[in-house]
Amino acid sequence: MNPQIQGIEALGGTYVFDVRVSNRRLKLNRFFWNMIGRDWRERYLADPDGLMQQAGLTEEEATLVRNQDWLGLVQAGANFFVVEKFARVAKLSNMEVYAIMRGESYEEFLQTRNVPTLR
Amino acid sequence: MARIIGAIGTSHVPTIGLAYDRQKQDDPSWAPLFAGYRPIAHWLQEHEVDVLVFFYNDHCTTFFFDLYPTFALGVGESFAIADEGAGPRPLPAIRGDVALQAHILESLVNDEFDLAVFQDKPLDHGCASPLPLLWPHEPDWPGVVVPIAINVLQYPLPTARRCYRLGQAVRRAVESYPEDLKVVVVGTGGLSHQIHGERTGFNNTEWDLQFLEWLEHDPERLTRMTHADYVRLGGAESVEQIMWLSMRGALQGPLRKVHQNYYLATTTAMTAVLWEVVDQAEGSARP
Repeated sequence: MNPQIQGIEALGGTYVFDVRVSNRRLKLNRFFWNMIGRDWRERYLADPDGLMQQAGLTEEEATLVRNQDWLGLVQAGANFFVVEKFARVAKLSNMEVYAIMRGESYEEFLQTRNVPTLR
Repeated sequence: MARIIGAIGTSHVPTIGLAYDRQKQDDPSWAPLFAGYRPIAHWLQEHEVDVLVFFYNDHCTTFFFDLYPTFALGVGESFAIADEGAGPRPLPAIRGDVALQAHILESLVNDEFDLAVFQDKPLDHGCASPLPLLWPHEPDWPGVVVPIAINVLQYPLPTARRCYRLGQAVRRAVESYPEDLKVVVVGTGGLSHQIHGERTGFNNTEWDLQFLEWLEHDPERLTRMTHADYVRLGGAESVEQIMWLSMRGALQGPLRKVHQNYYLATTTAMTAVLWEVVDQAEGSARP
């Protein structure tokens, strides 16, 4: 085990993205990464299932995407920095995704912040 | 000879870029953030800084995990600003200086820092989010950027100590460049935040302030910490603060903190700090 990350697993609610996870979920993460391209975004909106199939996603991965299961995606090994590119396509702000990952409503989450009015 | 006259530590939250583009400088929720950058922008202008060396990270925009460099230096006369899924930003391309970048690259590689090199690739919010708050850009940027990307996304990450040593090597590279240039090193990211998993929203102001204190007065202490230490104390994504150690490693001699702004509004402790290098011969800040 990488001694630099020893102890992270004990924190809870935190998922280490290492090269093993990255290797296992390369297609899923590439699928999200491609969302920075306008063509890819348009193709996704026109035919999400077709594009996921072409991208080589497993049925489990496709289900997580279809359900926009943000926490499930991260737990499965999607990297948040590509997940957020998909959130743009899904028309959600990062703050909205954060609330979902915490299991809170958007309003509840905002009330836990110092400046809830910041947008 | 090129000289490092100061250092900036700054968050690179993408929302800062978004708020800037939407001109929210006077929005009451954003005003404390933007006000916190003005003294730094003023200082950069007053000192006619020519070069910003940016220790930043790519957020899986320009690089994907099929080839994700641990350290990468950008070479080019200009860099586009990346479209990260929400369309292009209304900013001019970032200016570069190939002669300077090539020299820094040669010096680093000969100093046993075998970085990857990228050319003709865009820079994402890791660099482009704070940049317009530091430098004016109409009609064009007043200086050039040397982008140095550090992997803080896919473990194994470079250690805190390795990042610090990279900064030391960058100082040797800058100071061996013959042209008279005024250089400021910029460390980006942080401070405390976590933006994935159920622990999203974690912050730790006490640790953030401790980090800033140690960074200035006892950086070696920070180089002995593991990535897990950073994640525990500041949240998972705050591990990117190892990039501030590269900035710190590039500084030598006594420092004077000119300005500090700390604004924890929602999820990231948005921080902007400016240090200047005190000229020991004159006992005052370098002009």
